[in-house]
Amino acid sequence: MKKFKVLMALVMAVVVSLLAACGDEKTSSEGESSKESGEKVTLNLWHFDPGTREQVYLKAIERFEKEHPNVTVKPLLIPNDKYKQRLVVAMAGKNAPDVFATWGGGYLQEFADSGKLVDLTNEDIDYSRFVDVALKNSTYDDKVYGLPLGIATYQFFYNKEIFKNNGIEVPKTYNEFLAAAETLKKADVYPIALANQPQWPGAFYLMYLADRIGGEEVFQKAYNRDGGSFADEAYVKAGEMIQDLVDRDAFNPGFNGLPYDAGSARQMMYTNKAAMMLMTSGFVNNVRDEFPEFEDKMGVFQFPALEDGKGDPTNISAGVSPVWSISKSSKQQELALELINELTSVETGTDYADMSGTPVAIKGVEPKDEYVKTFTNWINDANSIQFPYDQTLSPELAQLHKETTFKLFGKTMTPQEAADAMEKKAAELEKK
Amino acid sequence: MKAAAEVSKLPIIDITTVKRKEKRKQTLAILSFMFLALFVYTLFILYPILSTFIYSFHEWNGIEAEKAFVGFANYSELFSDPTFWQSLKNNFYLVGVSVFVQIPLGLMMALVLNSKIKGQRLLSVIFFLPYLMSTVAVGLLWVFMFDPTNGPINMALNAIGVESINWLAESPSALIAILIVMAWQFAPFYMILFKAALVGIPEELYEAAGMDGANDIQKFFYVTLPSLIPMLISSSVLAVVGSLKTFDLFYVMSGSGAGTSTSILGTFMYEETFVNFRMGYGSTIAAMMFVIALISVVIIQVIDSIQKRKRGIS
Repeated sequence: MKKFKVLMALVMAVVVSLLAACGDEKTSSEGESSKESGEKVTLNLWHFDPGTREQVYLKAIERFEKEHPNVTVKPLLIPNDKYKQRLVVAMAGKNAPDVFATWGGGYLQEFADSGKLVDLTNEDIDYSRFVDVALKNSTYDDKVYGLPLGIATYQFFYNKEIFKNNGIEVPKTYNEFLAAAETLKKADVYPIALANQPQWPGAFYLMYLADRIGGEEVFQKAYNRDGGSFADEAYVKAGEMIQDLVDRDAFNPGFNGLPYDAGSARQMMYTNKAAMMLMTSGFVNNVRDEFPEFEDKMGVFQFPALEDGKGDPTNISAGVSPVWSISKSSKQQELALELINELTSVETGTDYADMSGTPVAIKGVEPKDEYVKTFTNWINDANSIQFPYDQTLSPELAQLHKETTFKLFGKTMTPQEAADAMEKKAAELEKK
Repeated sequence: MKAAAEVSKLPIIDITTVKRKEKRKQTLAILSFMFLALFVYTLFILYPILSTFIYSFHEWNGIEAEKAFVGFANYSELFSDPTFWQSLKNNFYLVGVSVFVQIPLGLMMALVLNSKIKGQRLLSVIFFLPYLMSTVAVGLLWVFMFDPTNGPINMALNAIGVESINWLAESPSALIAILIVMAWQFAPFYMILFKAALVGIPEELYEAAGMDGANDIQKFFYVTLPSLIPMLISSSVLAVVGSLKTFDLFYVMSGSGAGTSTSILGTFMYEETFVNFRMGYGSTIAAMMFVIALISVVIIQVIDSIQKRKRGIS
């Protein structure tokens, strides 16, 4: 028996060494083949947007391929949640896509800090065509690592018909907003639709409330660690206001258990069961795909101003997506650069604005769509644009932010506890 | 190469009898037959397990080439992390439900199918259907079933005068809801195992018991159940290991939800590794999952062998 074990161990050793040999061989052959091939070239492109947005990318790829007949671009659509996992694994190994989309912010920074991205700062890119703040979202230490395409603004969508039938005006201030919620409740309508299982829809409320209470400096100071704090009273107050909304039954019941992608919150909007929803501009696209009839009675308004708040009511929250980057392991970096230039060209931007209901980070695009026009005006008039915390903060802190806000909504955490937990983690990460 | 040389060196040390030589030959023959399987096993099972343990001693974000060795720091952090204990607790509930709900339920369904009732075929299809569906589809289906406003479950509760429950939104109903779905989906798996085992029980045993005047209940406890013990043991091993590894159903029904009432080791590991960029810490969680599963299986096997010895003696 003992000998058997020894033999087993030896066989194992052989197997492992064989494996190692296999691995080496593969990589060396790959390197050679790409050096030789001057003619047929394949670029891999990964993204996470289905539907009309994908169509926009495919059209841009088509234009690119026409200009470069020897190049084939292989786009790969990976759904949202799996995307992060696949990308991390691919970037760690040797099979990273040449060009890929992210949301910029703290997530992309991980890759940049790990030296996995091509520094685009001094490359042949006309930076004047981008909206400055959007570009900042993928700029770390004054180096640009990604080119932004869309800016999805966050605002309330509402049902005009329900508002009209109950004599409700679009609320300009938070008190009007609360009064509207009361009226709607009496009319047996859920004032606000919320599907908070993925945790980001609820996080919009914390972000907006903190901004309206204390202005954009609250986040910026806490984020940059210059005198600010995530335990700032603005955050505690925002948490209290969220729980106040929960106590007023402003949301549909069971919101913390509803997955957003499955559509239960949108369904409530479509079927007149709920009157308002704080959502990204991507909702316009959802409506057109899922229930076009709803567009006739759909309206939009910005997060209401707070009567005693310091925040500028023109401040708007928005997420930049997609941000195109090039991985350092790409063997066709020059072509990849041209590809991302095409993916953020005025032409692509125009398609994106017209087809996806979302404004773009590219100047010189004249949107035809009414919603996009409105959103674009809001962006242009905004005193400051707040990017979502979960994309800006480092991944770990971003996760905690979503988790604590989720617990605020579920009332399993007090506002003070949530704010303290955030500040504790932020301080901890700062030390590292 | 080196290994082969050592293999040939080995027997020189103790060639004493022909018998040994033959035995060696035999071992080699066995090994050569096993080689392919062993190769696959090493590549896909042993090697990843080993690397998991190696990663668990490092601080690594999963993308950088550099890993910093931190010794047991990840482990000490894990043991003081409340999310870990919360997840572990939930995993134990899961194990409990798997062993004490799914297995008996599977056994009951197998017994129903084994008895001579009408519509047996239809029933076997109905019983087995949940197991055939993809877990993601099952998860979504039940999310709609548990919908707080339009869900059939709450509507049924309302019909009998019970107030609506916000199933997936609150603690502990969220965990209970997911456990119900787990039992619903996986009980048929054990049903199939038991059905196969039931067929293997010799008819003579029942006849003999019948002649001794045993009624149906006595037949079950003195013939059926003892004959099923080996299958019960292997089912429990599968149930324990399977429920420690669970991920997909929880992920679909409750999001990754770390730190919340439905966090389990699988989702906790996923989140630390792929969302928080902490490959090292995630590997530590995975390593702990492996150790816990190993310990549980060893315990079950030990109990089994003690039982066997007892029965052998008496």
